[in-house]
Amino acid sequence: MPVQVYSLYIFDRHTECIYSKQWVQPATPASSTLPSTVTDQHRQTNGTELAATAAEQLPPKPRRNKGADDAKLIFGTVFSLRNMVRKLGGDDDAFISFRTAQYKLHYYETPTNLRFALLTEPGALSMRNVLHQIYINLWVEYVVKNPLSPVEHKGGEGVRNEMFELGLDKFIRGLM
Amino acid sequence: MSASKAARVGEEIWKGRVDKVNAELVVLTYGTIVAQLCKDFDSDYVQVNKQLDKMGYNIGLRLIEDYLAKSNTMRRCSNFRETADMLAKVGFKIFLNITPTVTNWTSDNKQFSLVFEENPLADFVELPDDGRAQDELWYSNIFCGVLRGALEMVQMQVEAHFISDVLRGNDTTEMRVSLIRYIDDELPPEDD
Amino acid sequence: MSNLQAPRAGAKEPSGLRYPTNGKTIYHRPLNRAKAAELSGASFAYLFSEMVSYASKKIESIQDLEKRLNVQGHPIGLKLLDLLLYREPARSQTRPLNIITLLHFIKNNVWQHLFGQAADGLEKSSDPSKPDEYMIIDNEPLVNRYISVPRDMSQLNCAAYVAGIIEGVCDGSAFPARVTAHSVGKQEEGEMWPGRTVFLVKFAPEVMERENFLGKG
Repeated sequence: MPVQVYSLYIFDRHTECIYSKQWVQPATPASSTLPSTVTDQHRQTNGTELAATAAEQLPPKPRRNKGADDAKLIFGTVFSLRNMVRKLGGDDDAFISFRTAQYKLHYYETPTNLRFALLTEPGALSMRNVLHQIYINLWVEYVVKNPLSPVEHKGGEGVRNEMFELGLDKFIRGLM
Repeated sequence: MSASKAARVGEEIWKGRVDKVNAELVVLTYGTIVAQLCKDFDSDYVQVNKQLDKMGYNIGLRLIEDYLAKSNTMRRCSNFRETADMLAKVGFKIFLNITPTVTNWTSDNKQFSLVFEENPLADFVELPDDGRAQDELWYSNIFCGVLRGALEMVQMQVEAHFISDVLRGNDTTEMRVSLIRYIDDELPPEDD
Repeated sequence: MSNLQAPRAGAKEPSGLRYPTNGKTIYHRPLNRAKAAELSGASFAYLFSEMVSYASKKIESIQDLEKRLNVQGHPIGLKLLDLLLYREPARSQTRPLNIITLLHFIKNNVWQHLFGQAADGLEKSSDPSKPDEYMIIDNEPLVNRYISVPRDMSQLNCAAYVAGIIEGVCDGSAFPARVTAHSVGKQEEGEMWPGRTVFLVKFAPEVMERENFLGKG
């Protein structure tokens, strides 16, 4: 079943966004932008008093760089949700996804604390396996094993190489 | 996962899911790396050990991702004893087709030894007969770094060093591994 | 510190190497035991990765980096020549005596052993002014499997390491040569072998002279 994929974000163990890419714009009313939606969702989780992380302190300041701000918001949110899920459900429990009227965010985390967040249309089925495939077939093969890519990807260095980009784009477009 | 199950998993991955290359390509490549370092550091073997450890660390940071992808274990080990078994029976198995023995645990379960019956990296190797190499060079020191790097990525700070090596004339090749601490998740930087 | 080094040679005779009491040394193990052994391709990829990044330190140019990789491959070629000939049946255990036999030995035996298959092609330069140049072609060098070369380094071909190995085999057989690796695959869509690499073997003048002399005789 084809699915509309909006965007993908990858965060490293240092919590930095080391890759992001957008495929299609969410079909949203002009007034409703992504960050505000995420923030709404985030406030709901705050209600449980479990999401006590830096994400709380995200300021509503004017945007210098929308992409980077989105990434920060998303990280803060998924990190809080993941911590909350573990706290309530035990260490083996995992936060998998959440959905709003506009989109669904799918989350996947490796034991090395590499975190993937994929935004799709709200009706999409689980994308966990898709994210797992991106990790083992694209990330490990083309970023991790590439001798010309550094070991750590500060500022996203080494992630945007041709083989990874082409492979990812082909894989995602194949889903749509 | 129990030790015997780990051994089965390692065997199964090695047989079915690992891309293989001729062993001598790997062995000779490692040999030329060590030889080059000995040249570059002018046979200062202490520096060579350090550099090998550093290279291993970089490899470990990468290799762990491959290990996780291949072994499909997306769950952390429940304790350090399990870590040791997975490392010896799955990790070493799928990358080097060997399973060193895990032994000599301390009573606090924080230190163990890996004893290498086989060491493919050291095939064809004899250390330089210069009266120092056998006392100073740990030929396979890259392993220590690999362990340190790989375990750091899954949030364990460890220290690893060789205490004997058949290349030095010892009867065994043994590495000592100690758990220093478990590392906490890094938190996102606070916004100003 | 320098006075620590000096007495080594004179004052103290090296005592020789120590061996394990169980006698487990390289001399007690058959040289063929690792012949067909396998290790994971990933182990090679990671070691090669570290070799490349170590070699990339303090370099001034891409050529510099390729030169270093070549130098690291060279001793392997020397050793492989002996090892592979030793493993040949007795009647074909002689080292190659002319250029063509040598190049076939590299294309078939060396490639087969290191990479599991023969190289994809062997050609003589079509330029009549360059009779000393030959080309060994590999459509997909194993060493480049995981390498994605950034555009600003587009001339780089890490198979320079393999070029060094070939050079070692040539030098060891007394056919001194310079060997360099060149990417010839076009990056366009649909190109069959984007990673296609030509190893250009350029023999030293004395090799050509000898070859010509022997050819006439």
